[in-house]
Amino acid sequence: MKRAMPFLKKNPAFTVFAILALGVIAAAVFAPVLATHNPYEAVLADAVQPPSSEHWFGTDRMGRDLFSRVLYGARTSLTASLSLVCIIVTAGTALGIAAGYFGGILDAVIMRISDMMISFPGMVLAIAVAGILGASVTNAVIAISIVSWTKYARLSRSLVLKIRSRDYIAAARVTGSKTSHILLRYMLPNALPTILITGATDIGSMMLEIAGLSFLGFGAKSPTAEWGLMLNEGRAFLTAAPWLMVFPGLAIFITVVVFNLLGDSLRDALDPRSE
Amino acid sequence: MKWYKRAASGLMAAIMTLALAACGSNDQIENPGGPDGTHLNFSCYNYSNSMDPITNVNSSWCFLRYGVGECLFRFDENVEVEYALCDSYETEDYTTWVLHIREGVRFSNGNAVTASAVKASLERVYAAEADKSGNSTPSQYAAFSSIEADDAEGVLTLVCTAQTINLPGILAYPWYGIVDTSVIDSEVIGTGPYYVTALEENSTIDLAKNPYYWDGEAPYDAIRIYLTEDSSTKAMALKSGDVDLVENITTPSDLAELKADDAYYVSTTAGVRLGNSYFNFNGVLGNEALRQAVQYAVDDATMCGVTVGGMYTAGCSVLPSSLPYGYDQLTDPYAYDLNKAVETLDAAGIVDTDGDGYRELNGQKINLNYLAYTSRNLDEFAQAVAISLEAVGIGCTVTVQDYDTALANQSAGNFDMITSNAIVVPTGDPSGFLGNFYSGNSSAYGYYANEEYDALYERLLTATDSDAQLQLIIQLQQILIDDAATLVHGYYNSTFASRVSAVDGADITPIDYYWITTKIRPAQ
Repeated sequence: MKRAMPFLKKNPAFTVFAILALGVIAAAVFAPVLATHNPYEAVLADAVQPPSSEHWFGTDRMGRDLFSRVLYGARTSLTASLSLVCIIVTAGTALGIAAGYFGGILDAVIMRISDMMISFPGMVLAIAVAGILGASVTNAVIAISIVSWTKYARLSRSLVLKIRSRDYIAAARVTGSKTSHILLRYMLPNALPTILITGATDIGSMMLEIAGLSFLGFGAKSPTAEWGLMLNEGRAFLTAAPWLMVFPGLAIFITVVVFNLLGDSLRDALDPRSE
Repeated sequence: MKWYKRAASGLMAAIMTLALAACGSNDQIENPGGPDGTHLNFSCYNYSNSMDPITNVNSSWCFLRYGVGECLFRFDENVEVEYALCDSYETEDYTTWVLHIREGVRFSNGNAVTASAVKASLERVYAAEADKSGNSTPSQYAAFSSIEADDAEGVLTLVCTAQTINLPGILAYPWYGIVDTSVIDSEVIGTGPYYVTALEENSTIDLAKNPYYWDGEAPYDAIRIYLTEDSSTKAMALKSGDVDLVENITTPSDLAELKADDAYYVSTTAGVRLGNSYFNFNGVLGNEALRQAVQYAVDDATMCGVTVGGMYTAGCSVLPSSLPYGYDQLTDPYAYDLNKAVETLDAAGIVDTDGDGYRELNGQKINLNYLAYTSRNLDEFAQAVAISLEAVGIGCTVTVQDYDTALANQSAGNFDMITSNAIVVPTGDPSGFLGNFYSGNSSAYGYYANEEYDALYERLLTATDSDAQLQLIIQLQQILIDDAATLVHGYYNSTFASRVSAVDGADITPIDYYWITTKIRPAQ
């Protein structure tokens, strides 16, 4: 805490966006407390009601309270996007470090697979994978993971290649350090700051991709409270009941902006080149 | 130097103007009829990329709907059979039918429509069914032991394998659309007011006026059909002026807006289409109490009036209340009543023993596999039903699939419930549709079986007296209601919406085999 306070004071932008991000996370965590209705309780006769004191954001076409669904949607979207970023950061970094350190056939195989993934438009490939796996949030996360790990693999590989031939690595080898020790003690810490900054800036875009897949029908399935799916469900009512799209859209917009700016400010704070 | 700058800026302005003009031209809807000809831009859902009647049900419908083909008979706006390519017929025993082919009719390529040509066309669709080169099943409605053609007299003699009382109505069904078999390997040619000039799968179909059309002159020189999956997109295309006519806007909010605006004419017809969900009797829904509880738990009136915005009229029987099949004489013992749903389940021992909120049947948690497809609000019905069932502790997972996948799963029995929207009087009488619940046919519709129903249905097929037919039809409907044989949502109200300034006569017919007809013409 003693080290954190000066850091936060020194980086006010990061502090502000971190507080906002915590606010979004708090909204998701405390959704059961904050929600005014059960997000899955439908009163069919009350469908597509405009915003009112009873239903702050109105109701959807099945007569469910939109405010409560937007709040619960934060749970789905945040969980999915944070899981996704964790998966691609972990898998991509591990493969990249392995490729960079060991080189040879392993490097060629991992990088050629990575090249193949990059050669397709990411979203199109994700749609294909999600289409094969079937529509669900889990499958959407898997589909986007399959096409998104390459960035981290290439990044960590390049960072490892920079230090692989340094003297202290050679010294570690000749003093009998195990390979796993070298990877964890020298390679990973070297790559980690850059990887983490990239991961933080990716949360927003990953959230958009998951919402995009759900909007297209390849992600969350009804009646799940998920922002992309809610946008799709409200699409038919764009002119007659715009609140069905406005509030989930705003939720996506605010969350993505907050996490993007948080990532940017984290980069500014940690990147030595910016000083 | 100044002149040099002026010349350069002038050149740049010219290039930008040309570039913008080029962009603009791509955004314009083309006039396939040429700059001077009359043309129509029509937007509709794409049910099939084929127009060959042998391919499947949807392709045969497209053959008629796009104004490309016709049958020997057709239905008028009162669902009465009228003559089309046949102009008279005789029968004494309902087994041998002598049909006279209208003289002077030509296919759109100029070939004459002779009795032999009609014979070849009918034989082709049966041959395709027999050798499985097509998925259409014309023998479902009628089978012939012989088809004889007399070109000199212009007479076609059909001998049915059994008494077929409603043959004219059956021959009006799109499977029996007449194609020119002499050129069928290269193109699908019919006798309709228009013929196909270009087809881009899932995108557009271009039609041109058939110069040989027998029933008056086609009003448009050319028609472009835009194949549009999404209902809102169709509505927006109509509002923007990109198209002049659209079929079946299924989004209630869009339809309400069009109805409220004088610039558009919305034609709605009382439905002969049933929106329902079939139960799979080989699964958990074989349990009678569970089916009854499902019926009790679903509020069809609210679903039809609110959830789908009045696109359907609620009802309890498989035959619409607008048709003269004794709807008023039927009683519904399972009208919406949540308390009764709970009581029925509790009394049958279908209760939640593990406290997870869902009831169990034979020790297994109930989770109905509910398949739906997006056509005509069916997915919205499925979701509303699932929500209603959850309220009484019946778990239900809705899976929205494309039509073909859902149909394949239905045929394979891979469902507990599956949505459906079908015309119940496809051949002008309901016996064909009621046959879906006959145990000999019901394997594709959930394996419903009832001996009393089977016996009455067999009597219906041979009844010639109209009063006797009506009484049998009423009894069959009541049995289905009493057995909770299917979950009836309501009766679909078909719509056409057109721009008043561009189109006249765009009225939808109750039997929607006919979209593009000669009655649709440019506004005066």
